[in-house]
Amino acid sequence: MKKLTVLFLLISIFSPTLLAQKRGAAEQSEILIRNATVLTAAKGRLENTDILIRGSKIASVGKNLKAGANAVTIDASGKFVTPGIIDCHSHTMLDSINETSYSVTSMTRMRDVLNPNDARLYRALAGGVTALNLLHGSANAIGGQNVTVKIKYGKSVEDFLVADAPPGIKFALGENPKRSHFPPQPGQPRRYPLTRMGVEETIRDAFVRARDYKAAWDEFREQARKDKNLVAPRRDLELEPIVEILEGRRLVHSHSYRADEMLMILNLANEFGFKVQTLQHALEAYKIAPEIAQKSAAGVSIFVDYWGYKIEAFDAIPYNAAILWKNGVTVSINSDDNARMRRLNLDAAKVEKYGDVPEEEALKMITLNPAIQLGIGKRTGSIETGKDADIVIWNGHPFSVYSRVERTMIEGETYFDREKDLQNRGALERERTELEKNDANKSGAGGNNPPAIPRESGKTHLDDGDDR
Amino acid sequence: MKISITRFFAAVFAAAIVLLNSEQIHAQRSALDAYAITNARIVTVSGETIERGTIVIRDGLIAAVGANIAAPADVRTIDGTGLTVYPGFFDANTNLGIAAAPRSQPGQPAAPQVQATPQSNSAFPVGLQPEISAADLIRPSDATFETARNNGFTTALVVPRERIFVGQSALVNLSGDTASTAIVRAPIALHVAFVTLQGGEFPTSLMGTFAAIRQMFLDAQRLDATQKAYAKNARGIRRPEENKSLEALIRIVNGEMPVVFQADAEREIIRALDLAREFNLKAIIAGGAESYKVAERLRTQNVPVLLSLNFPKRTTTTSPEADPETLETLRFRVAAQKNATKLAQARVRFAFQSGGMANLNDFWTNANKAIENGLGRGDALRAMTISAADIFGVANQLGSIETGKIANLTITRGDVFDKNRQFTHVFVDGRMFEIKNAPKPDASKQTGGTATPANLPNLSGTWNLTVEIPGQTTQATLNLTQQGDKLTGNLQSAQFGTSELKSGEVTADGFTFTTVVTTGQTFDVLFNGKVTGNQMSGTATTPQGAIPFSGTKTP
Repeated sequence: MKKLTVLFLLISIFSPTLLAQKRGAAEQSEILIRNATVLTAAKGRLENTDILIRGSKIASVGKNLKAGANAVTIDASGKFVTPGIIDCHSHTMLDSINETSYSVTSMTRMRDVLNPNDARLYRALAGGVTALNLLHGSANAIGGQNVTVKIKYGKSVEDFLVADAPPGIKFALGENPKRSHFPPQPGQPRRYPLTRMGVEETIRDAFVRARDYKAAWDEFREQARKDKNLVAPRRDLELEPIVEILEGRRLVHSHSYRADEMLMILNLANEFGFKVQTLQHALEAYKIAPEIAQKSAAGVSIFVDYWGYKIEAFDAIPYNAAILWKNGVTVSINSDDNARMRRLNLDAAKVEKYGDVPEEEALKMITLNPAIQLGIGKRTGSIETGKDADIVIWNGHPFSVYSRVERTMIEGETYFDREKDLQNRGALERERTELEKNDANKSGAGGNNPPAIPRESGKTHLDDGDDR
Repeated sequence: MKISITRFFAAVFAAAIVLLNSEQIHAQRSALDAYAITNARIVTVSGETIERGTIVIRDGLIAAVGANIAAPADVRTIDGTGLTVYPGFFDANTNLGIAAAPRSQPGQPAAPQVQATPQSNSAFPVGLQPEISAADLIRPSDATFETARNNGFTTALVVPRERIFVGQSALVNLSGDTASTAIVRAPIALHVAFVTLQGGEFPTSLMGTFAAIRQMFLDAQRLDATQKAYAKNARGIRRPEENKSLEALIRIVNGEMPVVFQADAEREIIRALDLAREFNLKAIIAGGAESYKVAERLRTQNVPVLLSLNFPKRTTTTSPEADPETLETLRFRVAAQKNATKLAQARVRFAFQSGGMANLNDFWTNANKAIENGLGRGDALRAMTISAADIFGVANQLGSIETGKIANLTITRGDVFDKNRQFTHVFVDGRMFEIKNAPKPDASKQTGGTATPANLPNLSGTWNLTVEIPGQTTQATLNLTQQGDKLTGNLQSAQFGTSELKSGEVTADGFTFTTVVTTGQTFDVLFNGKVTGNQMSGTATTPQGAIPFSGTKTP
């Protein structure tokens, strides 16, 4: 009887899914992009090439591909196609960025404060960006838990999440976590730590506490087998994510500027038995490129040519990316900015200019490499059969300042279409005129303000030290 | 030292108010407290409307209601010809009778959080103390209760004002009686707002707020488990901590008491629903400005909405130089008026609340706007009566006109949604309040008015005031509208919030008005001043003494 029930349960759980899958396969839409110059970011540049998209995936890449009768065909003659751009350091669509109170704020989750209606996301799509690494700010030695999203603008927030992206966390070293530029609020004491060595101690202390916490839980699980009445230890949301780092289940993205502190964090990670996933900003990384290649898990994520905005950001060169690449470091170019993220293609072009990095390697720095650094390199970041159809069509070479994005697709769906955007502008203007005629939008209604609806947040700074 | 003198006078003054009130109450209680309203139209809400009928009120309850009921001989009879009787209206979320804490000014050091419950031993800061209870804080003698009654309200969900764990609400009958008799039920729910603490203390960010809420919920679950284990056998278990704040959350995480999340934007509501799902909470949304966007999920998760009728309005002037407003903002203001209609269509339960509006008259103006935008009158009526009672679990006591229910009634001349209707009486717990100078729903729309007589100065406009309270000079903004020799408007300050002017008058050589100020105690302040050009000066008379003030008109 029990078995029957289980069987019945299993059937009832799986049958709708099976049905849905079957139906999905039959109805899966096909899109054929024809005759494009494809910059694959994996297998070089392919001229006069077709890409067949089936459902959310790239079904094949090649010449003279055949599609089904209902396939939508896009003629891309004379156009360039690249993988969607991935910004490995972003604070767009976040309602808050820094929890400044403590030096360790690993209990905070960027997932809790996403704003899928942030209009800047649409502008990012218009710059060919399809995915973002949304990081906590750098006010804390150990910051909050980051989240990897695809910009499915117009969909609900759950749809933005890349389900199989491994979880991560932000660390920060140097001037921001020691609060060099951020005096405390009047009446508040200065926050520990005040020095770089204090930052190191803060991080080590957190790992020691996490190790003890894990031991306490391991002990409890052991004891609980014998004694069912045992009360579990307190769950600590600050230490749980740090335990996950120790267990290799959470990726560390560490904001850092100086070579000495980068070495510090790489060595400290080694001491606790894990590898730092990426060093973010890493302006002095070129000084220790071989060490980074050996000791980091997935390299560095940097600006191309932005520096000088604080003392620790002076000893920088535009050849950082090239030197790191030559030393075998995985390099990505990020924006950390709501506006600059729309020009990441030109930042990649600069990598070609400063140090003669080949076209494909430069392109990888804004596509495949950030995907690898975020642990989603198997599903996106390049144009290859079986990968997510995250694709950008450009009217010219993406490294030219004269080129524009014509269409941005994520998993086979179009989220930006320049032609449609231009067509819609008239309709939006008409809607505005209509709305402004409505009494609700006329001024002088008097009375007090109703509760404010949080709208688009203010500026963010390249290098996210600013308090939010 | 000065402060303690101030406090002493405030306490003496408060004691005087209490004395005065209890005498009034005594006087009214000795009067006949049985009534019959005859020949009235009775909108029962629970059943058919009785076009011509009688309601008998006795001992605070509805003793009888019907078309063919004779008024008993021993009651005071009110001829209800031309009147309509409704169940007493609810304001489903307000701070009525809860004193506002002083706020710090931008750029100034943050004021320390005022301890709402004195001498709390909580391990958590104010703002994270879920044990704070409206039932302990409420001052039912507050003048705002009368204002609410004059606008047709008999019952209010009174909510404390602290920050994240705002505190526990009480459902209060607005009789102005003592808290112990006025409270219908407390606590009703724990109220939570997604805001931060002030003064640099964790949490300073929205994501920190979520982390703090989560950690406290988990800690409450653990305290519950520890207490149970300890009760079973204390030996060998470390004694569970005595923690009022976590203790107050146990009923929440066990789903025994609802949580009202203050959430207006779509994503705030979604976050609240996610949190409710994560911890299996009994959730209610308050505010709900964009709730229509989440209607489907609200219905499936069975989450009701305390919908604010404080609709967004454009407060900025339209100037050709100004940046255009976003399309999103323009859409939002228009959509807000259709919100209730969409919730009704999606079969989401909702009740109306005033949402902190400055003028309660807007409640009725905006209810009418909702009706103009497709909301059925019946749905609108239920959202102020039985739906509210139902959401708060008191539908057996309040919300409709039925025999045996509490005699909370609102009586109007004309249909309540009619532009020209007047509130004539409210009954609260069977006690009658006659409403004089009843406000009309469209009063706020009256513009213009009589020109300023030639011999009077024109005070209309915005004035920046400096009020020299000993030891703490305070800035305030005085908004004045002068019609003839009558002065209306409000006084705003960071410290005392916003208060409306009462009995304002302009004379040839000056002006007077009275305003209610709340600083732990509520009292009237009489302003007396002279005007020369764009300068004014005078004294403000308070229970503690006279305070000089001066002001400049903003150009």
